[in-house]
Formats: sequence, C-alpha cells, structure tokens
Amino acid sequence: MIPCIESGIPGFDDLTKSESAMGGIPENSSTLVYGPAKTGKTIFSNQFAYQGLLNDEPCLYIMTDQGIKQFEDMMFDFQRPINKFIEDKTLYTINTTSNISEGKPQKNENIVSSYINNPTDIMVKVSYGVKYVNKNNPRFRSVLDSSTTLLAYNENMLILRVLKAYLMRINEAGGTSIITYTEDSADKKVETILKTMVNNIVRLDGKELTVEAMKGIGKRSSPYQITDEGLVI
Amino acid sequence: MKKTHIPKLDDFLGGGIPGGSSILFCAVPGVECEAFGYQILNGNIEDGDKGFIFTNVTEPQNIIYEFNKYGWNLEKYLEEEKVFFVDGSSNFMGVPPMGKYTIDELSQIEGIVLKAIDDIPNGVGVINNLSTLLDYLDDDKIIEIISKWNKRAKEKNTILVYIFTKWDYDPKIIENIKNSVDSVISLTSIEERVIIGQGFMVTSASWTTPSKNLVLFFVLQPGGVKIYIPKILVTGPYNAGKTSFVKSISKKSVSVERMAMEKFPTTIAMDIGHVDHKGFVADVFGTPGQERFDLMLDVLAKEAVGAFILVDSTEPQTFARAKEMINKTQSEAIPKIIVANKQDLPGALSPEQIREIMKLDKSIPIIPTIVNENTGVEEALDTLLNLLYGD
Repeated sequence: MIPCIESGIPGFDDLTKSESAMGGIPENSSTLVYGPAKTGKTIFSNQFAYQGLLNDEPCLYIMTDQGIKQFEDMMFDFQRPINKFIEDKTLYTINTTSNISEGKPQKNENIVSSYINNPTDIMVKVSYGVKYVNKNNPRFRSVLDSSTTLLAYNENMLILRVLKAYLMRINEAGGTSIITYTEDSADKKVETILKTMVNNIVRLDGKELTVEAMKGIGKRSSPYQITDEGLVI
Repeated sequence: MKKTHIPKLDDFLGGGIPGGSSILFCAVPGVECEAFGYQILNGNIEDGDKGFIFTNVTEPQNIIYEFNKYGWNLEKYLEEEKVFFVDGSSNFMGVPPMGKYTIDELSQIEGIVLKAIDDIPNGVGVINNLSTLLDYLDDDKIIEIISKWNKRAKEKNTILVYIFTKWDYDPKIIENIKNSVDSVISLTSIEERVIIGQGFMVTSASWTTPSKNLVLFFVLQPGGVKIYIPKILVTGPYNAGKTSFVKSISKKSVSVERMAMEKFPTTIAMDIGHVDHKGFVADVFGTPGQERFDLMLDVLAKEAVGAFILVDSTEPQTFARAKEMINKTQSEAIPKIIVANKQDLPGALSPEQIREIMKLDKSIPIIPTIVNENTGVEEALDTLLNLLYGD
C-alpha cells in the first residue's frame, strides 16, 4: 500500500484511492500542479499546506507572486487562518515579492524574504527552512507557488536546475512537495522537463481536475469547483 | 598579500590572497556563499582599498540592505566613492538603475566589468553571481570572459572574487571554470538527514600549497562568516573510562574531578577536551556517569553533533545504564559509536556480544578499545568523524 497524506481538497483523496494507494498525495513525493491562469492552482496548494498544518505537519512555503500579507488574507478568506501557525512556528515562508530594503525589519524568524532573481539566496533560505520545519517533525510539506514567476525573471535553464536542487532537498529531508506552474507561460520544452522532474502531475483547467500521473493509480479526472471554502471535487 | 578577513582562511592560503589573483567561491546549492564575497570586500575597504560589486542577482539597494544586516556600512563607502556598483540587475527588473555602471544588455557585461577593474587598481572586485551568468552565455564564452577579466585584474593588481553556485551543470564546465581561476574555495554542507552544518575548504591556490582542512562555519547577522566548532559528546556509565578517553583523543583537556572516598578519582562535573584530527576540529564534552548527575546531561548534550558511548566490556550489567544515557543525552538522533573499552581484561565481551545484549542496530559501529593503552582510540575517532563528515 502506498502511504499517502491527506490532500486537504475535499474529494481528492477519494478520487485517488486504489487497490495499491490509500488516496491523497503519496508521502515524500513531488507533485506538479499546472493549468491555465486562474484555475485554482494556488488555492489547491494552500489547502494542501493548511491540511498539513492542521495535522501537525509543518510547512515550508515559497511564494513568488504574493506577499505574506496577501497570503494571510487569501487563507483567511477561505476560512483558513494561518496566524496561529506563524506564531507556533510550524509555518516557514520565503517570499520574493516585497522590496525588503524599504520594508520594516522582519518580526518573525520564520517569515523571511529573498530576491526573485537570486536563486542562490532562495536556495540558502530553503535549506534553513527545511532545517527549521523538520526539527520537530520529519514529516513536512513544502509548496513553491509559483515556478512561473521564477521562470519569467530568470533564464529558464537556470530555474530548471534550481527546481531540481529544490526538489532533491525536500525529498532527502523526507518532505512532500508541490510546485505550481501556469501552462504556456514558458517554452513548451520547460513544461516537458518540469513533468519529468516530479512524481505526480495534476492539471486544473477550470472545470476538470485531472490526475495525469501518480504512483499506484492510472489517469483519473473529475469536475471541480471553487467555493467559499476553496477547491472542491 | 591581502587579507580575506574570513577567519582561518588566511592561514589556509598561506597568509592571504596576492594582489591580482582570482578566487572562486564554489558552493553546493543551499550553502551560504555571498557573505564570503561581501566580507572580503568590506574588510579590504576598511583596510583602505577600493572595490566594486557586480550584481545580477538583486538591485544595489538590496545589497546595501544586506550589508547593513551584517553590520557593515556600504552606504558610507559608496558616498566616499570607495566602492561602486556594476548594476546588472535593475534594468532587467524594470526598476531605475543605480551605480556607476549599468548593464542594459548581456553583451555589455564583458566590457563594462573590464572598465570597472581599470577603475580600482590594487582593489577588490566581487562578481555576484557567476552561475546566474552561465546559463545566459554559452560555455566557451563564459571561460573566455573570465580569462579576460582575470588577465586585466592581474595587470591592475586587482583581486577578483567570484561567487558561484554549483547547480546541476555539466561537470566539464565546472572543471573549466575552476581551472580559470587562481584559487578555489569549496563550500559544502554536512548532512545527516538535515544539514547539520556548512563547511569551507581550500581546494586549490596557485601561490601556495593550501591546507585542506574542512572548517565548519555559520553566517551571523550582524557579524558575517564565523567559524563553528562542533561539539562531540562522550558519555557512558560510571567507570567506563570516559575521562581517559577524552584525554587520549584531545591535545589538551581539562577535567573537573575530585578524589572520592576510596582515593579514586571520578568526574564530578565534566571533562572538556579539544580534538584536532586530520583537519577536523571539535570540542569534546565528557559527562559524568553517576545517576545523581543526570540533571546535567541535558545541558551538556545540547547541540552536540555526534557522540561516543563508552562501555566497560567486562560489565554487561551496566549496558542498560549505557542505553539509558543514550536516551537522556538525546543521542538517538545524532551519529554515534559505541567504544567497547577494557578489551584487555578477562571476561571482556566482544563487540558482537555487546551488540546483541544492548540490542543495537547494525548501523551503530562498535569499536573495541583499550583506552589506557591507546589501542583502538584513533580508530574510534576516525569512525565517528567519518560518520559525521563522510569520506
């Protein structure tokens, strides 16, 4: 039986159940969530992160297109308040959006900033973040939302190398990761390589969620909608 | 010779970096490397030299902010025109550029950095970041550019410091880059499931035969690059030979002990030693063995990266206590070895017998020793260091 962790998306764990898989996201695997813009990729990732936090699985969250404030607001809007997890230090965020030199000094050691075109620094902070979150629980989750912004601001090949290092780091440390990517935002080749780097592939098109690849199950899909409480299958 | 202002590094490099040399900080992804370049620059400006920072990783304003976090006042040096920026970031980010030179397109980088080198004879230039440049240019071009920059720097007696992150590149191009500079400092991580430390080591230096010690470091804000001396724990039941062991692996050691009733010395607080073995340095802390001192174990064991568990091979009735001490020092989670002492005495159990009685996993090495005769001590040390740092 392939051990899985709860996805946090109502209906997803049932959809991915099989004779050899428990349903959910296979533990210690990596998942690419992709699809056109505005189809719920960030919401999917947020629910995944939040479910982990509820289950005492800490989370490393790398955000490249929203700041921590927007992230908190969005979570709150979907009835998923995260301030508790910032306080109890089970959530570690790295964000590359705010212009930190003009901002106020960091209040929390687990809310850190980096720069969108400095992958070296982002990766240093990922290392710290992994150490920070898996100190108390080796079972942790990691979200990178989204790879699209990284690709837009940097040479594609460089970012593919960075993503490879990132996925390896999370995997070695025992975590389960999600990377989001907006379809057609970069060269088709980039998308193909991205797909070879991950274990599972989930596509969202606005109407249907398709599990294109996942250990232990064949291709599956189901309609979904985005409600006040998030993405529901 | 110019100082690097990085602790230990000048010693390893035979005193520092000769003017006109190029030095590459080559980091495994996730290991801090920018601080090394900034610290060399800052130290040399303080010494009265001039310098520049080429950046393609973030806008100059953010670098000023990072310097501030380290406690270094880059803004003042900029005002005094001791330092300037070659801004290869702002135009690509769509923000107003800042700095003496600005890069509008990739093809200008080569020429503009040459101009920057000309401007600071006897100074220090930091190139942050070479790997971010590598994917934009083709492999041969990058080697050609580095060679031109280094040649010009040699003429001007200027030191060039390259920051490079070793992403998943073809090993050939990494080798070629390493061969294009005078000195390579490798920055690596030491991992045991999670990164327990970061280390630097001089891989090559054209002007000296460098000392190839691996030094653990961390980066402080404020403070910059600092050397980190890891702590190794020596624990085990009463009278297993911990104090003798600490003494025999240490060059210097101090023992807080007293003569007990039977005129038999016993450790009442701790033993402290310092290991300097095959390039590794560590502080060694020995714990007392008696249960009445268990309260201290937690404090002594804090932040230890590895442990020696000593047992008296002739006293199997103390093995349960040894296991309890592993537990109390929270040594389950760190690399450890069992030192099976007193192998010369009659009735001493073999390592395999000890493994069986203590129900120890195969992954935990058991080294037979006679600490008093120094037999097996070095092997014990090698085994633990190998578990900690790898080959």
